Amino acid sequence: MDYQIRLDFNSKPSTVMHIDLNSCFASIEQQANPLLRNKPIAVAAYDTPNGCILAPSVQAKKLGVKTGMRVKEGKFLCPELIVLKPDTEKYRNIHRKFKSLLSFYSPEVTPKSIDEFVLDFSGTPAFRRGLFDVSREIKNRIKAEIGDYLTVSIGLGPNRFLAKTASNLHKPDGLDEINKENIDAVYGGLTLTDLTGIDRQNAIRLNSVGIYTVTDFYHADLRTIKAAFQSICGYYWFLRLRGWEIDDVEWGTKSFGHSYSLPKFLTKAEDLAPILAKLVEKVGFRMRKEGFQARGVHLALLFEDHEYFHQGLSLDQPIFSSQDIYRVAYRILRHSPYRLPVRNLAISCFDLSDRTNLQLGLFDDRQKKDNLVKAIDEINDRWGNFVITPAIMAGTEEHVHDRISFGNVRGLI
Amino acid sequence: MIQKISAPISVQLVYDHRRHSVAPRRLLWDGREYPVTQVGLHHTFREGRTLFHIYSLTSDSLFFRIRLDTDTLFWTLEEIADGLSN
Repeated sequence: MDYQIRLDFNSKPSTVMHIDLNSCFASIEQQANPLLRNKPIAVAAYDTPNGCILAPSVQAKKLGVKTGMRVKEGKFLCPELIVLKPDTEKYRNIHRKFKSLLSFYSPEVTPKSIDEFVLDFSGTPAFRRGLFDVSREIKNRIKAEIGDYLTVSIGLGPNRFLAKTASNLHKPDGLDEINKENIDAVYGGLTLTDLTGIDRQNAIRLNSVGIYTVTDFYHADLRTIKAAFQSICGYYWFLRLRGWEIDDVEWGTKSFGHSYSLPKFLTKAEDLAPILAKLVEKVGFRMRKEGFQARGVHLALLFEDHEYFHQGLSLDQPIFSSQDIYRVAYRILRHSPYRLPVRNLAISCFDLSDRTNLQLGLFDDRQKKDNLVKAIDEINDRWGNFVITPAIMAGTEEHVHDRISFGNVRGLI
Repeated sequence: MIQKISAPISVQLVYDHRRHSVAPRRLLWDGREYPVTQVGLHHTFREGRTLFHIYSLTSDSLFFRIRLDTDTLFWTLEEIADGLSN
């Protein structure tokens, strides 16, 4: 291999801490119900045989149960598996308690997902105490103040990527650092797909330029990595692997979306309409609460046979009311060329703009509509979502439950 | 086995100002008294603007999930379980 362009490993001390709550949803359920502790349990989207397992407990993982499996597959591997439906409020509460506790140690606490936090200790008094001591104290305080059954894996490193990688080295309850001294040994023990962000497809790309191990990846020159990725991502990986920070980026809000896996597959647009209306209500409410309007609506349908249809519509004028979003979404739904049973329905609004700039329309009174929508949102906020809903949503109480998305914690606090 | 229930219950709650703690001690449901052996978790949520407190606790081999409505100060038993598979 040709090593032409070199960059030294970042000699900055490990100031970044990554904290990962082990088997988050399942551990929280075991914390809440002591009778479930040390038992194989799983939190699944639905507790029916085809429900998707979102989080197996540590004990279930040891028996081979994995995230993404069907409940029936989990039960096949482990007949005594206890399956629970998600309790999102419980998980959000624990997330807030974690954030509050961690804020005691650093002003820079960034939630990366419902169960992951990144802390930057640069220039903090806690850093001078030593981050291994601080990590142990955090672990003890979590047990004493949040839940005695909860364990976290903590990783330390000079950048976010290495801190996260360190947190994955020993699970559960790990505490590791990756730095200049041990980087070769750590990379030597990992495979390419162990790295966060390198999936099978990226590993194939790397293989195509002669990179088969993480050590190869680390020692490869910039030109080789760029050839593998064919984009700026190659340069980002070149920096990331050497401990330079590239992931401390705040991404702006680009869209609002919601999807729903139907427990009973539906074919006709009229049958899907009530569920679509409920998804639109949720998306519209969240978008307006964040002060946005949208000039585009996107609908995606996944069919029973895994055929896929999706279409986005860009509009002349921005829209914000759920009624308008629904009208566009339903039009797209009617355009679907397939008449197959739908297993998953997803809606999103894109091309966002600030809602404070209401452009007056020639034919409709946007101010009047804005006032009406605000009044409905205020009532729904006061008395709970969906007190006032479109009539078409009637009978959807059992559909589109509250969910926590993977990765996204926007609007959680 | 988990069983969803929605029944009013009586709860004896103790506030300890020295320990800064609040915890249920005893439940009375369906004519029987259940001493609380362990509180697993306390969390809160809002439905609209009404704040609810949820206590997840055990009494010997039974799990209880109880809810306090802070508007009415009434308690509701939401769920019982025995820690076994359904």
